[in-house]
Amino acid sequence: MGIARIRFKFEEWLDAFGRLVKFSGEIVRGVYFGRVITFFGEALRQSGVLIIGSAVVLWTMMFFIGLQCGIEGAYLNRALGSPAYAGLFTAWCDLREVAPYAFGWMMSAKVGTGIVAELGSMRINDEIDALEVMGIDSVLFLGATRLLAAWMVLPFVYIAGIGGSFFASYFAVVQQVADVSSGGYALIFWLFQNPPDLLFSLIKAMFMATGVVLVACYYGYHVTGGPVGVGVATAKSMVANIAIVHLVAMMGTVVFWGTNPRAPIGG
Amino acid sequence: MSDDKSNNDVPAGDDQDAGEPESAEDTTSGKAEFVLPPVADRDASRMTSAERLAKHAAEQPDDPYAWHSDTPRAHGAERSAIEFINVHKAFGRNKVLNGLDLEIPEGQISMILGPSGTGKSVCIKHMVGLLYPDQGDVLVQGESVPGMVDDRLFEVRKKFGVLFQDGALFGSMNLYDNVAFPLRQHTDMGEGDIAEIVNRRLGEVGLASDGEKMPNELSGGMRKRAGFARALVLDPDIVLFDEPDSGLDPVRTALLCELIREIHEENGGSYVVITHDILSARRVAEHISLLWKGRIVDAGPATELFASENPFVKQFLSGEAAGPLGME
Repeated sequence: MGIARIRFKFEEWLDAFGRLVKFSGEIVRGVYFGRVITFFGEALRQSGVLIIGSAVVLWTMMFFIGLQCGIEGAYLNRALGSPAYAGLFTAWCDLREVAPYAFGWMMSAKVGTGIVAELGSMRINDEIDALEVMGIDSVLFLGATRLLAAWMVLPFVYIAGIGGSFFASYFAVVQQVADVSSGGYALIFWLFQNPPDLLFSLIKAMFMATGVVLVACYYGYHVTGGPVGVGVATAKSMVANIAIVHLVAMMGTVVFWGTNPRAPIGG
Repeated sequence: MSDDKSNNDVPAGDDQDAGEPESAEDTTSGKAEFVLPPVADRDASRMTSAERLAKHAAEQPDDPYAWHSDTPRAHGAERSAIEFINVHKAFGRNKVLNGLDLEIPEGQISMILGPSGTGKSVCIKHMVGLLYPDQGDVLVQGESVPGMVDDRLFEVRKKFGVLFQDGALFGSMNLYDNVAFPLRQHTDMGEGDIAEIVNRRLGEVGLASDGEKMPNELSGGMRKRAGFARALVLDPDIVLFDEPDSGLDPVRTALLCELIREIHEENGGSYVVITHDILSARRVAEHISLLWKGRIVDAGPATELFASENPFVKQFLSGEAAGPLGME
């Protein structure tokens, strides 16, 4: 690939990124300034769709990740000769790192792709044009309502998912591996986290969710080329969302726990 | 039809092959204009406009606008509901509209006819501001669409009802909710009033008992009729139909045309139907505009166009294989 070709690709990518930022800004403004309230009914419907269609999937994924954290933590600490400290591993694994990742991945795979497919189908079936010619701001109706729904529903879904992962870790460490008593596990588990950590974790997850919804709306709304275009857009959004999830996860960890006095990850 | 071939027909650069200009005015105009070659034949002055066009086409076989007459016929309405003024639109290198001048008379059923791929659907999207011209202007009831701010555009769009090719019903709503949607969004009506209007509109299109069905449970014809009901629900001034006959069998096409006529008679308004189906044009059109290569070949009252001697118009409106229109 020649320099000119690379430059062209880069410019093309930059152009798409600029469009994405502009489109996302339009959606966020719609929610922030309350214009989306005109379509609050649709936002409630989207909330229902999120709860019914995705909450169980998110919780299931986070539950199994909690189990994994518990099993890994229990056996790692047994190998190190400190089985009573399995709670330290699970506290960080569940709250700070892996559970938010699981949430982000499932948001990308389930919610994000769902939005791209739905909006993409609406685009190729002229439904978005139909909205526009009815005098309805389609970005507000389709994008801002989904973002508002995500912000209304996902904090609760996430906190419930975190609860599920905590329970799963407890189950794995205390009931399955059984190297540590229930009280001993809880002491260490709660010692290495506090309520602000839950808030930080929630903020991290909400940034992931917001990124996923905005990117998905952008790709779905701008589908071209018929059914094949919907598939292409879905794949592109998946890649972009996974990248965003990892970026937010890394940045969130550095920002929220980089200088944490109980566990500074920055040394 | 005009006796003179318009001087705007040929793009700049093609005029050097057009022969000497007929008058001194033409030599000083400085415009890239096409001028008919000097008439050598003494009988040429007695040629009909169709014969002139044929002669010109024979002499200029590469001129894509050889059959286009730019002199509009009177459409009989007091004013135009929609006007295109020298509209150009390109998608990449593909020029779809190339200096389009078009008038849609108010209060009539107008048809924009043309072979596939000539920019008919692009025209509709310009009318409602889904696309903007690269050059030129589109006026809706005298107001420039490209010049409108978003809020005004959304207001103006409420004057329109649009029936898309496949109905464009919202897949997440049943038929009743689809038709009720514009009323719920744009009016303060209670559910009782909404139900009355929706049921009346569904009844008019023969879907009174199908309100609970989802769009994927409907046939193509039913989806179109449902889209028609939705397009009418706000009593729009202008109703646009994007190929209402596509994908329908001849009988259902005829029934849909009959429905369009009946509802127009009942409600009035300006209807614009995009199609390439000649039978539909014969059934419902009061005014016809024939589009080819991004410009109007000829436009006027349907009766006049069906009697046109222009070989291109004649061929298209009779659906014959022989004539100037080929597979290109």
